[in-house]
Amino acid sequence: MAGSNEVNLNESKRVVPLNTWVLISNFKLAYNLLRRSDGTFNRELAEYLERKVPANTFPVDGVVSFDHVDRSTGLLNRIYQMAPANHAQWGIVNLEKPLSTTEIVPVIIFFHGGSFTHSSANSAIYDTFCRRLVNTCKAAVVSVDYRRSPEHRYPCAYDDGWAALKWVKSRTWLQSGKDSKVYVYLAGDSSGGNIAHHVAVRAAEAEVEVLGNILLHPMFGGQMRTESEVKLDGKYFVTIQDRDWYWRAFLPEGEDRDHPACNPFGPRDKGIEGLKFPKSLVVVAGLDLMQDWQLAYVEGLKNSGQEVKLIFLKEATIGFYFLPNNKHFYCLMEEISNFVNPDC
Amino acid sequence: MEPYGNSGGVSSSASSSSSSSAASITKPHEMDGYLAEAGYMVRSSDLRHVAQRLERLENVMVNSPNDLAHFASDAVIYNPSDLASWVDSLLSASDLSISDLDFPGVIINNHHTALPTADTWAEIPPISAAPPQNHHQVTAVMEEDSGIRLVQLLVTCAESVQRGDLALAGSIIETMRALLTRVNTDCGIGKVAGYFIDALSRRVFTPQSVGSDGGSAHQNELLYHYFYEACPYLKFAHFTANQAILEAFHGHDCVHVIDFNLMHGLQWPALIQALALRPGGPPLLRLTGIGPPSPDGRDSLREIGLRLAELARSVNVRFAFRGVAASRLEDVKPWMLQVSPKEAVAVNSIMQLHRLLGSDSNRNSPIEMMLGWIRNLNPKIVTVVEQEADHNKAGFLERFTEALYYYSNMFDSLEACGAMQPDKTLAEMYIQREICNVVCCEGLARVERHEPLSKWRTRLELAGFSPLHLGSNAFKQASMLLTLFSAEGYRVEEKEGCLTLGWHSRPLIAASAWQVMPLPEATATATNPLGIVNHSANHV
Repeated sequence: MAGSNEVNLNESKRVVPLNTWVLISNFKLAYNLLRRSDGTFNRELAEYLERKVPANTFPVDGVVSFDHVDRSTGLLNRIYQMAPANHAQWGIVNLEKPLSTTEIVPVIIFFHGGSFTHSSANSAIYDTFCRRLVNTCKAAVVSVDYRRSPEHRYPCAYDDGWAALKWVKSRTWLQSGKDSKVYVYLAGDSSGGNIAHHVAVRAAEAEVEVLGNILLHPMFGGQMRTESEVKLDGKYFVTIQDRDWYWRAFLPEGEDRDHPACNPFGPRDKGIEGLKFPKSLVVVAGLDLMQDWQLAYVEGLKNSGQEVKLIFLKEATIGFYFLPNNKHFYCLMEEISNFVNPDC
Repeated sequence: MEPYGNSGGVSSSASSSSSSSAASITKPHEMDGYLAEAGYMVRSSDLRHVAQRLERLENVMVNSPNDLAHFASDAVIYNPSDLASWVDSLLSASDLSISDLDFPGVIINNHHTALPTADTWAEIPPISAAPPQNHHQVTAVMEEDSGIRLVQLLVTCAESVQRGDLALAGSIIETMRALLTRVNTDCGIGKVAGYFIDALSRRVFTPQSVGSDGGSAHQNELLYHYFYEACPYLKFAHFTANQAILEAFHGHDCVHVIDFNLMHGLQWPALIQALALRPGGPPLLRLTGIGPPSPDGRDSLREIGLRLAELARSVNVRFAFRGVAASRLEDVKPWMLQVSPKEAVAVNSIMQLHRLLGSDSNRNSPIEMMLGWIRNLNPKIVTVVEQEADHNKAGFLERFTEALYYYSNMFDSLEACGAMQPDKTLAEMYIQREICNVVCCEGLARVERHEPLSKWRTRLELAGFSPLHLGSNAFKQASMLLTLFSAEGYRVEEKEGCLTLGWHSRPLIAASAWQVMPLPEATATATNPLGIVNHSANHV
């Protein structure tokens, strides 16, 4: 059977550019070294290997950034904005004036991926991605850290995401528009997408307004093995075995993958019908072995009467958005831009 | 070989989007621009080779999964940004059973050469860390209260000073002092602002008092001690440098350490003990300590040397000490150090090199001269630790703003360590002296000319040095050290073979190690790395 012990290398090589293949394969192999079979994680080596970059209040690719660290949790939020047109304002952090008093500037809260275990807001790949988001969408982006597994399990990441949402909404310097409010969208890739969903649920229940959710091959799953998992296991960088490991590391001990954190709209989830849930943009990579769960999520949203747009990128693998060297990347950016700037 | 896919008709060197800085068509010898943005250095021409190695590595890992955990904990990895060599190092480690193999530029070490520490511990608690990149960075961790107003005023005041409008600067200082009374000055922005307002005040109102050394060398030594205790920066510096020196001295029987600033010799007991425990026995260790002359006729250098000799004797390490008194580092000449050609030399500079960057109308900065003779000593290793900041900019405003952010982070980090009073205040006074020097002094009087690692890298490479990478071993041990001596929030980061220690996402101090680059005209080989053309049987 096509299992994790077979090495099916040929397929992934055919569908991605060489440098993308090198990047994602490198992650894959490094991550294999870090996960231990007893469920523990070599966090030190992970941090040593992780390529990170500092923020910069001088423009990089037309975008400036600065960091805010929450004193009580030590978690980092990195705020990205379009560089001010006035050179004299470079190198200075503006925390007094709103983003605009006339126009609406969307603020995208971005939860980085990494299967709840890897990466940080200041990882090079995510810093670069957030800068591209700012440029494409003319938005402000707040990339937030959350406590990671296995050291911190469910619901820590969601609690941290919720705290980040409340923080963003209360920043006067992130306000825009004539009615001076923070126009918030939630976004995330992989585990970040999962976090965005659950934070949006909490926001809806607390009647905190979120204008939209952007989920980039979000990390969902379930106890059952779906057709896409079986068919694509090990073929495009990801294996069922590693997915299982990450769920075991994140979910409470002893829980299975039908836990509602992993499987919203599954047998144990209470659903979101009747909730004022934001509209969703869900992007599914056609070569992602978890796509059946993501498609089920989209169905679940529809069945709950929620607004959702599905972008199915047939030939895309996971991580297609890290390097802007493929048509899926440009498609994605345009869709996100239209999603957060609906009147343009 | 299988051709790699060109998905959607877009190749790997396709035209970039307008916002990306990556080269649209990369020449083969250039780094792949998109991978560089992801933190990885791979030449375009090497991509295929790296991909093949990755495939091979995957095959190996799939076939021997039990060895994975073994590699991960035992293999020492250097410079993970250099994908080609990191993959090769893993492949080599997996191909062989435990052995030490030297590859040029890549070293696999399956043992821990650890410095002995006070206690052993079974579990290593997870520590997060991060490596930095860019030049020209100004990172701020801001509080949102009237502290913001203070910062704005500080910057405006500095700008007035730069323009020469001292009257305006003076009135802003008064405003700031008034505002200070309404702000919490025990911590956070209030505290840092207080020190910067004092420094500006000195510069504007009592410029004649500026230019004096800011206190005697003796006072400075005392304050240094409190700074050493109150936060982990100096311990990290010593620890990291010692680890590199220990590795460089491997296999040598006569070793000589030259310390550019002995202070209390705090760095050396650990090295002496580590050498004592070295497999195969300790070498003969000579230590030459440089320091300012003592004012009162005491020979404080010699006193420290005697104490270190005591320690060395107690652990059976043959040891000789020599003190070199000099009020300025540039006054030290190589003949004073009496380096013998048979010994392996380590030059150790903890926050000293930046002092050589000053110049005035009468003389150029002595840095090149110094680096030149250091190179001529033919050291096995030069360990350099410097503040990771750009405090040597010519423009006052830029320098001031950079220092404001740098020292804000430094004070924040000090706060977190929870030192008791009066120790904490004394440690702060040590920092305050640096601030004063950066803000108030000019010309030769300004000795705190900190420059970031990227600039030191260029300078050292131009002077004929090449980097010696500090590996994952040093990183792991620095992280372990942090759990003992510091608080949450400190981060050790790795970047291009160097280690930095900082507060959250801002690196504050950078440690690097260097070796002498082989002379280009000679032929370098593995046994004759300096390419010395010498027909005798011995090599240096």
